[in-house]
Parts: sequence; structure tokens; C-alpha cells
Amino acid sequence: MRMHRKLALGAASLALVLSACAPGEGGSSPSASTPASAGGDGASITIGSAGFYEAQLMAEIYAQALEANGYTVERKLNIGPRDTVQPAFENGEFDLEPEYIGSLLTFLGGEAAGDPDETFASLQTALADVGLEALDYAPAQDQNAFVVRQETAEGLGVSTMSELADADGAGDLVWGLPPECETNPLCSGALEDYGFEYGSLEIESYGACDAPVAQALNDGVVDVAELCSTQPDIERFNFVVLEDDLQSQPSENIAPIVSSEWLASAPAGFADILNAVSAAMDTETLTSLGVRVAVDQESIEDVAESWLSDNGLN
Amino acid sequence: MEFFGEVAGWFGDPANWSGQDGIPARLGEHLVLSIIPLVGAILIALPIGAWIGHTGRFTNLAINVANVGRAIPSLAILAFVAIVSQPFFVMIGLRSVASEAATIVALIALAIPPILTNTSIGIGEVDDEMVEAGRGMGMRGGQILRQVELPVALPIILVGIRTAAVQVVATATLGAVVATGGLGRYIIDGIAQRRNEEVFAGALIVALLSILTELAFTAIARAATSPGLAGQETTAAETVPSAPAGGV
Repeated sequence: MRMHRKLALGAASLALVLSACAPGEGGSSPSASTPASAGGDGASITIGSAGFYEAQLMAEIYAQALEANGYTVERKLNIGPRDTVQPAFENGEFDLEPEYIGSLLTFLGGEAAGDPDETFASLQTALADVGLEALDYAPAQDQNAFVVRQETAEGLGVSTMSELADADGAGDLVWGLPPECETNPLCSGALEDYGFEYGSLEIESYGACDAPVAQALNDGVVDVAELCSTQPDIERFNFVVLEDDLQSQPSENIAPIVSSEWLASAPAGFADILNAVSAAMDTETLTSLGVRVAVDQESIEDVAESWLSDNGLN
Repeated sequence: MEFFGEVAGWFGDPANWSGQDGIPARLGEHLVLSIIPLVGAILIALPIGAWIGHTGRFTNLAINVANVGRAIPSLAILAFVAIVSQPFFVMIGLRSVASEAATIVALIALAIPPILTNTSIGIGEVDDEMVEAGRGMGMRGGQILRQVELPVALPIILVGIRTAAVQVVATATLGAVVATGGLGRYIIDGIAQRRNEEVFAGALIVALLSILTELAFTAIARAATSPGLAGQETTAAETVPSAPAGGV
């Protein structure tokens, strides 16, 4: 969950940055804002985010992308968990935030699907009831994923979960799975869908997305681990994320969520700025940026700026 | 109140008293996870502590190293040891118990400081007149250590071992984070599955086991103390700052 949120937030921030880069902004200034000078006409916007690095990174990317287009941005990038952020958003305390589409939909009482388009459509419907709207989602997802070492992927010749289920020698693998896996349809249920017999797997009990399970995978204590798809350990240890080809996990793409009121009076080109950010942010990119922030301890501002500039978005 | 009813219900459920994740099995795993590190720590820390106390060399170094060891959170020690030792255990073919082995190494590291400190200080502070008397009777160094210093310092040494034992019993719980068995499984699995009564029950069993450990070692100390030293234990224990009981 933690990782999911992080990814989602990060993706949202990225989307924002991309949007900022897009050419041709301009138009009327939004409500309650002081005009500035660039394409945003000095429109001012407040960006919120949850309190973990991926969300903050995505929000910062949105912020810098918009600033590059002449917007004046106020940042509230450490609001807290979703159950604090979302009510604040609905109360109008900020105008824009990055979110994970599946987790947000679930939070709003909907049911997230494995197909991002389906999840996104349901999310738009749910958001409309609370005066919010989602812009284009990024390819980047922060979702639970089954991960192997490079040598395992190459040795077995697998890149997807279906291939792993069919691979010779898959029965000898040791799995690092969370204690609640057995009762969780998204864990044991998903594995059964792929054709694994959950009861006959050799399992070591590790929390999903935690450092210990990543360490155990790297050390060879386990062969398959449930991690989060943008977890920095994946890049640090050169793990291979097996593609969830049956879409067993809820889609957790990151999308900019905007207040409908703001959007109605937004300068022309506002959505394009954020959509360009989203389009350029995929899971691997977000993972790499996360490594720079969470492992290398680079500042979120610097990481956002360099990514935007590499992609011509600021 | 309802919650305590649920906890009582958990203890009353026969399913929790049998099988691989039943209380007897988890208790057994926990004892193995506790006894091996304690014995290992005694085998390492007692001779070193005795040598330091007997010769008076490196006393400050030993105490400082031990204190640094105490200052590092148990979870950090466990994480560090897992990173360092797990690949080794996998390499030598102990893959299926690699996380248990790493936990045991971490617990040994945790148990050494109180035993080392109490042994070296306990022996170092044996009255010079006693040592001189032994020497006057023609004892050699080894004999003085075995027949004078160790018996006199025994109550203090046992306090160190008792502190280490309680710490190890409480901290072995953390092994569950890296996939070991033991009573920590109730806490970690209970949290993961939002079964609060199981978390509470697990914590309760660990707490009871820690108290029993403390009482058992107190009884051992009483029985093992030379009659000539009886009554000194309290004083001796107070002169040596005992390590904080193990926690997360």
C-alpha cells in the first residue's frame, strides 16, 4: 500500500511536469488567482500531495512543469495519508494532486480493475460526485508485483507470470510472500489464476514491499518476492519485475487529479501540460527517479528539475 | 472489554494449541531461537570478560564497545546482520534456515554486551586482598581465576546473563520480520491480517516468557551463589548498571 501510494503520487507529479512543458498555454486565469506572466497567465494553483517521496516527487514535477509555463504554484506536499489528503482536497484546500487510480477509486468506494482504462473510467465517475476530475494517467504504475532475480528470469527464460507458471523448475522456487497472502484474493487468488497451487508452494513469510523481502531475494533466501513495482530495491539489485499479463493486480497508474472548479476556469493548455508529463512517465523511469530520491538522497526538487529538463518539459 | 473476550477466545480455540502455528510449536521455536544465541553469547563473552577482568587489560575498551552495542536498536542489528550473513548461509547450503541463522547471529551480538560487561567488571572488582591471599597460598593465575575470582564474581556474572536472557527472549520476536518462526509470528502475522486479538495474545505470551526467564535466572543465581557470598548479590548487582531489557 505504501509503495502504491508513493508510485501514484510520483506519477502524478511527473504528469504535472510534462504538462508544463507543453507549448501553447495561455488563456484566462483561473479563479482566485493572481495573474503572472508566462503561458499560464500568472494563474496560481495550489498542489497537494501525500507525505511519501513518490507522491511528493510527482507533485513537485507537476509544480515545476506548471511554473515553467508561467503558473504561480503553492505547494502542500506533505499532507499525510490518503484519508487526510482526500478530505482536504474535497474541501478545496488545494487544486491538484497526483494519485494512484486504483487506490483512489477503492478509497472512494469503487472497485479497481486490472485494466487501467476500466479503472480510470470508474474513477472519473466516482470523482465527479466529489467535484474532482482526473487528467490522463501515466503508464507508470506502483502496484504489487512478483519479482525475481535477473539470473532466475534468464535461467528459466521468463518475463511474465504466465511464463513462470509454465516454466520447468518453477516448482522448486521459494516464495517470499506476506503473511496475509493466503486470505488475500489479490495474492493467493492471483497466483491460483496463473495456475500455481498455492498450498504446494514453498513460502517464507515476509511483508510485501518491505526491505527484508528485497534483501532475502537478493541473498537467495527466496526466489520470487512480492514487491512494489517502483520499489528502489528493484533497480538497486537489478531485479526483474514479472509482467502481470493476466492483469490480476488492480491498476495503479498515476494521474493528476484536479478540482473541477479549477479546471473549468483554467487557462487554455493547462491539461496539456500535465498530460505531457504523464505521457513521458513510465514505471521504470519512476523507479529510477525514486532511487535518486530515496536511496541517493538527492533533493526532490533537483530530481524533478533534471527529469523535466531531460524530457524538454520545462 | 469485548476485546479481552476475543483474546480469551483466541486462547480458548483448540486450533491455536496444535499444528505448525499452534502455541506449543511456536513456543518451542522461540525457545530454540533464544537458547542457541544465549549459549553462544556466554561461550564468547565469558572467557573474554574473564580474561579482561583478570588481567585488567582493555577494560575501558570492552565496556565502551559493549555500550555502543547496547545503543544500537535491536532491529537495526538484525537488519544489518541479515544483510551481512544471509548470503553466507545460503552459500554454505543452509538456505532453508538462513533467516533463522541470521537472527541467531544478531541475537548473539545483542546478548554479548551485558555478559561481557558484568563478567569483566565482576572479576575486576574482586577484592585485591582475596587475590593476594590466593597468591600467598601458592595459587597460579589460572587457579586464582577459577577458585577465587569466578566464584566471588558469579552473582554479578549471573546478573549479566539474566539480563541477556530476558533481552534475547523479548527480541527473538523480531525474527518474524525476516521470516523466522517463534512467537513473533503471532504479532507480525496478526498485524498483517488485522487480527488484533492474535497480536495481543502473542505479545502477552512473549511478556510472560520474559518474566519467567527473569524469575528462572534469579532462582539459578540464588542456588549457585556461594553461601559465603549470600546477601551480597543485591549490592553487587547495583554496582553494575544492568542493560535495559530487550525491546524493539
